[in-house]
Amino acid sequence: MTATEPDAVRAIEAEAVSSRFARGWHCLGLAEKYRDGKPHTVNAFGQKLVVFTGADGETNVLDGYCRHMGGDLSQGTVKGNEIACPFHDWRWGGDGRCKKIPYSRRVPLRARTAAWPTMVQDGLLFVWNDPEGNKPPDEVTIPVIEGATRDDWTDWRWTETTVHTNAREVIDNVVDMAHFFYIHKSFPTYFKNVFEGHVATQIMRGRSRDDAREQRDGGGGGGPRMLGNSSVASYHGPSFMIDELTYHYEGYDLRSVLINCHYPIDQDSFSLHSGIIVQHSDALPPEAAEATARKLSDFILTGFEQDIEIWRNKTRIDNPLLCEEDGPVYQLRRWYRQFFVDVADVAPEMTDRFEFEIDTTRPVESWQREVEENLARREAQGASA
Amino acid sequence: MTVRQDDRLLDGPLLPVRCRRCDAEVLVRKASWEQTSIQWNAAARAACTGLSGDPHATCPALRSAIQEAALTGAIAVME
Repeated sequence: MTATEPDAVRAIEAEAVSSRFARGWHCLGLAEKYRDGKPHTVNAFGQKLVVFTGADGETNVLDGYCRHMGGDLSQGTVKGNEIACPFHDWRWGGDGRCKKIPYSRRVPLRARTAAWPTMVQDGLLFVWNDPEGNKPPDEVTIPVIEGATRDDWTDWRWTETTVHTNAREVIDNVVDMAHFFYIHKSFPTYFKNVFEGHVATQIMRGRSRDDAREQRDGGGGGGPRMLGNSSVASYHGPSFMIDELTYHYEGYDLRSVLINCHYPIDQDSFSLHSGIIVQHSDALPPEAAEATARKLSDFILTGFEQDIEIWRNKTRIDNPLLCEEDGPVYQLRRWYRQFFVDVADVAPEMTDRFEFEIDTTRPVESWQREVEENLARREAQGASA
Repeated sequence: MTVRQDDRLLDGPLLPVRCRRCDAEVLVRKASWEQTSIQWNAAARAACTGLSGDPHATCPALRSAIQEAALTGAIAVME
């Protein structure tokens, strides 16, 4: 169709969602969770997986169903370094091979199931998904998060929630400056994206929003005044975003690292995780940092709920109609596509560097006016009450 | 998942701008004086020496070249 007639009705277009799941490292959450000596059921990549940690301390991810008679391994038992099927006690190793059948003299040929490469880094468990079945290349890494293992930072505060839509919706947020104002009650004043290789970055600075202060400060009111924030958030691959987020208060900065990551459950749902660590400082001793991490974690979870409410009701749209103050949705999706094609088919346009800086002049004017109107309305209501 | 074209490029296409420091040629679009889109290719990226520090910053030399292209009208500023 042509979009040339100015008065033609714009149709919303959406192709069927691909049945393929992204190639890349996906975080399954805190590694500790999977070290309790029990098998865990993880529904991911359209399948049921079993995650278990053997006596050797290695955490393994296998297809959830036993190749013998289809028993659910995630209902089984960890025995030594193997997962034992609850149905007939067949023992499967982390490499995907059947190691032993207690009631049989030998293991049959071809007794091998699907095993996913895993990685534990910064206290997080990652699994590598690749529809082509290749091992993770050395250059496709998740950067080490310095604060995650340092004593002068808090431990992770981690949340998980299931979202019933396709994961592309959460990716789109990378370029969606305006939704931060309308959905999350923040106030972006600077916004830029850079896509290059398998990394997509959002650089955002914002100011504190006086008409949303209670929400942000948890109703305390008495604390130091928050001036604004600076954020550099990068997706490293299709699902794991590291956000170096600094809150600027009167007199000091609060440094935090926010993780926003997900893994697909199936084409129409995903598991959405958030993690946060906060740095201690003179202004923020350990206990206060813990309290802040808890508060920020709640705040992020509220943010997810705000997104989820939109996603629950919106429609999938392949051809968004954009104004000049919107970010580069199409170029982001072009970048995202590299994870859904074979490695041989990754085109330069998907990975070539692309930079996009939004002119925030008009958004800032408009939002400032809206904030002032909200404050004036509240004051009038307060006066009449 | 067909990759579609940003409709905004119909109103104003990306145009070539060459950096005078390294001779890299990139494609640029400016919807306003403050808005800039920069599409790199592998050759330009390999040639550029101004991106060694902050990987998210725009190369300062390229920024100047784009500014100049906008001022001379070599690329249109849409507003």
